[in-house]
Order: sequence, then structure tokens, then C-alpha cells
Amino acid sequence: MTVARAGSLAANVVAFTRLLRRRGLPAGPREASDALRALAAVDLLDRREVYLALRAVLVERREHFQEFDEAFRAFWGAPEDEETRPEVPPSDGAAPEGPAEAERVLREWLQAEGEEQAEGEESRETPGYSPAEVLTHKDFSTLSAEELDELTALIVHLARRVATRMSRRMRAVRRAHLLDVRRTVRRSLRRGGEIMELLRRRRRIQKTQVVLLCDVSGSMDLYSRFLVQFIYALQHAVSRVETFVFSTSLTRVTPALSDAELSRALDRVARTVPNWSGGTKIGYSLRQFLDQYGRRLLGERTVVIIISDGWDTGDVEVLEAAMRQLNRQSARVIWLNPLLGGAGYEPLCQGMRAALPHVDVFAPAHNLESLRRLERHLALPR
Amino acid sequence: MHPEIARIQTMLGGEGYIADREIATAIYLSMSLRKPLLIEGAAGVGKTEVAKVMARALGTDLIRLQCYEGLDATTALYEWNYQKQLLHIRLTESSDRSVEQREQEIFSESFLLRRPLLEAITRDSPPVLLVDEVDRADSEFEAFLLEVLSDFQVTIPEIGTIRARTTPYVVLTSNRTRELGDALRRRCLYLWIDYPSFEKELQIVLNKVPGINADLAAQVAAFLQMVRQAKLEKTPGIAETIDWGAALMALHRDHLDRETIEETLGVLFKSQEDARVVRTQWLDLWVRGLERLRAEARPWSQALVERVAAEGALRR
Repeated sequence: MTVARAGSLAANVVAFTRLLRRRGLPAGPREASDALRALAAVDLLDRREVYLALRAVLVERREHFQEFDEAFRAFWGAPEDEETRPEVPPSDGAAPEGPAEAERVLREWLQAEGEEQAEGEESRETPGYSPAEVLTHKDFSTLSAEELDELTALIVHLARRVATRMSRRMRAVRRAHLLDVRRTVRRSLRRGGEIMELLRRRRRIQKTQVVLLCDVSGSMDLYSRFLVQFIYALQHAVSRVETFVFSTSLTRVTPALSDAELSRALDRVARTVPNWSGGTKIGYSLRQFLDQYGRRLLGERTVVIIISDGWDTGDVEVLEAAMRQLNRQSARVIWLNPLLGGAGYEPLCQGMRAALPHVDVFAPAHNLESLRRLERHLALPR
Repeated sequence: MHPEIARIQTMLGGEGYIADREIATAIYLSMSLRKPLLIEGAAGVGKTEVAKVMARALGTDLIRLQCYEGLDATTALYEWNYQKQLLHIRLTESSDRSVEQREQEIFSESFLLRRPLLEAITRDSPPVLLVDEVDRADSEFEAFLLEVLSDFQVTIPEIGTIRARTTPYVVLTSNRTRELGDALRRRCLYLWIDYPSFEKELQIVLNKVPGINADLAAQVAAFLQMVRQAKLEKTPGIAETIDWGAALMALHRDHLDRETIEETLGVLFKSQEDARVVRTQWLDLWVRGLERLRAEARPWSQALVERVAAEGALRR
């Protein structure tokens, strides 16, 4: 390899890592230098080998493979000489709405003006609320514009409180004392090797993983704007929260919501969620969660919170099976249903009925008071 | 292809491990860049095998650190030999040495028990260090591991700092039960191992099940391709495939029919629920799929198996 060529290769590698960085991959100078070393070690004329080498060095998790592939194709050309990989078809039959539409919906949220809310059939079926004087008891769907600002602030405050309560309770859960042999022996030296007392050490604190699955389909429109704010605040207050939203399919929004600014975070969520306010396929979405994230996130210290009205237009059997598995693989399943707050609501819709036997806590989430009561359900163990 | 990568691929093949180019390239880079290799993938795709085979191929030792919840530095790095220490204290009781002197004696290297991490960096020739299922350890341990892997030195308060004589080849595996930290990820090269393609699995079956005929092996591999399209709690991995092949051989079966499959279902599906779902929902479809495949010309290919599976609507 000539010097000139090496120089241009280095420039290209740096430019490529910049491209990756813009696409959200954490490729810094160290990765760039590793990439150069890797390229020096492989056969540069072999395109597939160059592709594999760069991927091994510059990608650190499988979720980034697709981003990397696209960037590679754009920058270096097809990763293979002969064959081209088939495009992955969208896994869901429903045509996803354009990002512009989702953004519009979110902007509406942000401005918190629900007046021109499109009235879906389902939202009309929402049972009426019982009128109450205080804001905290008011149903989210009936608030005026000025009340909304106040409410947002309250929600953030509340989420913080729930979160602190949560972590404090979780700490008291496990307190096993283990013998600390090292310190015991050392202490015994002072007494000529006689063991007079046993020193113990405390077992490490085990943290709870919280998984939030939030329904953002059309029938939930009125509620999800508040709930997402609640989730946003919760995620920022508790260290181990993973957040997903779903309507006809599931999207992970943890990274989007981690933005320090609420409005920017919501903007990012809007851009990542392809089918905001669409129909609902709860079972299918939960199945998707189980397959893609279940192994990683579920366990005996995981609390799963599902926020949905249970209006499922998908296969009820799929929902039931998914709920059963979810229940078995986690410590607790909490289902928050905004409709539950309405007087005389009974979980009659098929989806809710199928899910209920596998839910540990079924609670309302239609006003602030109900969200506040949430903290009671979060402590482990069951 | 770089000759060294080809050599690694052949070497792994010689050890009975069918490695595709992705795996061979990653191993090669990990060895030549001297960076730890992080391997992720579903359970049962042969992640741990990579390290074992690597050690055999390099002619060096494998040091394995199996991670679990609550694993801490004392189990992973070093521990003092307490029995020996106590004995020594007793034996020197009547000597005129001071407490300080005796303390110094029992905290010297000869009273040290080397655990895998310390062992790995104090060998004369570099071993392969396998940190297995690192996702099962706590994140505190992960941070500690990161420190050892960055500096390759260990500080023991009573003795001082022990520097690595040689840098081991490090392989980490994760089943993704917990998300690993970014810092650890960035320290490593990344390899994702997927379930094998039809061709690869066929190779594996032929290699690992002695005496199996090519036709049965192809049916087994094709069947597994269909099985992995189903949504099950525990998708069978390569180990299950090999076990199944061996079971079929032990039963002297030379082809797959419904009865044979039903008899041996327990080898593939280890959960009650999966076995039930397979019996009631899937088995008919798969058996039909196999029948349709048998009408096709051999050798079968991944594309063909996929097409047949799609025709039978084996995906739900």
C-alpha cells in the first residue's frame, strides 16, 4: 500500500465514522483508529471482508446493524460484490403514517390543545367522568387549556415522588448478611489467630427494572398526551426504566425520551414512532416486545406497566398468550386503564377480558390521583 | 480473503466448528488488534464454543469465568487461602516474630488463590480468557471487569500491583438478559451470531453426528429452519439439533416422519408449553413442509427451504 493511498483511506475512515456518528452510532476517534488498524489487517480488495471488519469494530450492538448497513452502502457501496440483500418488508400490514403526520399529532400534544381532537368511534364510547372540584380528580379528557399547564407541572412532580418512593422501598427488599472471611481472618490476627467475632458484609442492593408499555392508538389519544409526560418524568427519575409505545406495532422510545428537554424528547418520539394514533394490536405489540426485548428486560425483578384501554383490534388469542408469558416472566404486571376511572366501567371489551387473568394489579389512570396511587403497587416482592 | 482469516476458518473447521466468514473475521481481528471480542446472540448458537475452539486452535489454555448474579471481585480475581493462613498463624504462634511480621507473611503471594482473572494475566503464554454470560453479572462487576480489561493489571492492597505478563485473548459472551454498558461495549469488538442458515446447520449436523446419512441430516436441518420460524418460548439451538440427530441415530431412523418426530419431541422442546403448542399448532404444518421438500431435487438450499416454509404459511 502506498503512502498516498493510506492517507486517503484514513481520511475516508474518519469521514465514515462521522457519518455513523450522525446516525447515532457511538463511533469516536478511538473507533476510527481501530477501524484503520483493522483495515490494515484485512484484504482491502475483498469488499465483504472490509465490510465485516468495519462492522466488528464500529458497531457495538445488533440494533445498529441496519443503520450501519445503510451508512456503509451510502459511503462505500454495496457490502457484497455479487448479491444484494433483500430489503426487510415492514412487519405489519397497516400502512404506516408519514413522519409529518406523527409530528403534527405530537405538536398538538405539546400545545396541549385538544379541542379539534378527531373523535374516533372508540373515544366516543369513553364512559363519562364524574365531575369533581379539584384538578387532581378531573378526568384528563375534560381539562381546559390553562389547567393543562398546571397539570404538566404536577405530573412531573408526581412522577419524581413515585420514583423516590419506589427506589426506597426496593432497597429494603433484600438484606442477606454474608460472612466476610477476609476481614474475619484479618481481625483474628490481633487475637493471635483466635476467631472471636464473625464479620459480615451486606449483600449488594438489587435494583428493580421497570418496563413501561404505553398504548398510543387512536382510542387512547385523550390520555396518552399526559401519560407520556408522566412516563417522561418517571424515566428521568428512576434509573432503570425502559419505555415502549405501541399501536399496531411496538417502538422503543427510551433513547428518544432520554433527551433532557421535554419538548425535544417528544419531538424525537414523534419521529421514531411510525403509526401514532392508528388502530390497536395489543397482543401483536406485546408479542413483539417479548421476542425482541423479553430476554433482556424481563426477570424476577422486573415490574411491567401496561397503559392501555384494552381496545384490541387484533387476535385475542395472541393477546392472551402474550399476557400469560409476560406474567410468568416478570415479577409483577400492572395494567393501568384510563377507562377504569369512569363510573360503572366494566372491562367488557374482549381484549381486556382476555388480559385480565394475567394482570396482578388493575388500576385506573385517568387522573392525577390515580397516578399517585400507583406507587403503592410498585414495591417488590409480590 | 485474507490468508490469515482463511487459515482461522480452516483451523476452526478442523476442530469441528463450522465458522462462517463473519465469525472468522471477528476472531482474526480480535487476535490481531488485541481487543476483547464481545459475542452476542440467542442461547444455543455456539457463542461459548468460539472461545473453546479458539484456545484449541491456538494451542493455549482456556480460562473460563462463568458469570452469575452476585459474582464479585473475590470470586473473579483473587482470594486469600484462609485455611492456610490460619494454619500458619497457629504454627508461628510460639515464634518470637511480631504480629506485623506474621501479618506480612500470611499476606504474601504464596497465600494467594488466583481466580480466573488474575490467573489469566499471570500466565507465561497468553491464554484465552472466556468471560461467559457477562450479562448475568451485576453492573458493578461489569465496571470492575472493564477496569481489568483496560489496564491488564490488578492491585492487591497487601501485595501491590500485579501487571500482566502477557495479555490474554479475551472473549465475552452475552445472552442479553441485561443490557451491557456502553463503556464495555466500546472496549470490545462486536460479533452477533445468528441461528445458522440451512447450509451451515447441515454442515454442523454432518460434522457432529457421527454416521448420519446426508439425507436425514438435510431433513433435520430443514426441519429446524421451519421450527425457528415459530414463536416459541425457547427456540431450539444448535446443541438441540445435534442432540436430536444423535437421538434419531440411536433409534435407527433414516428419515423423518410424524411418528418419529413426535417420539423425539422432548429433545428439541424443553418446555411443557412449547411441546403442547408444537403438537397442537405446528407439527402438521412442519410435516407437510417436509413432504413438500422431499419432492424437490437435492441438494436443498436455504432459499428453497424458506420458499417451502412460506408456501405452507408456516409463519404465523
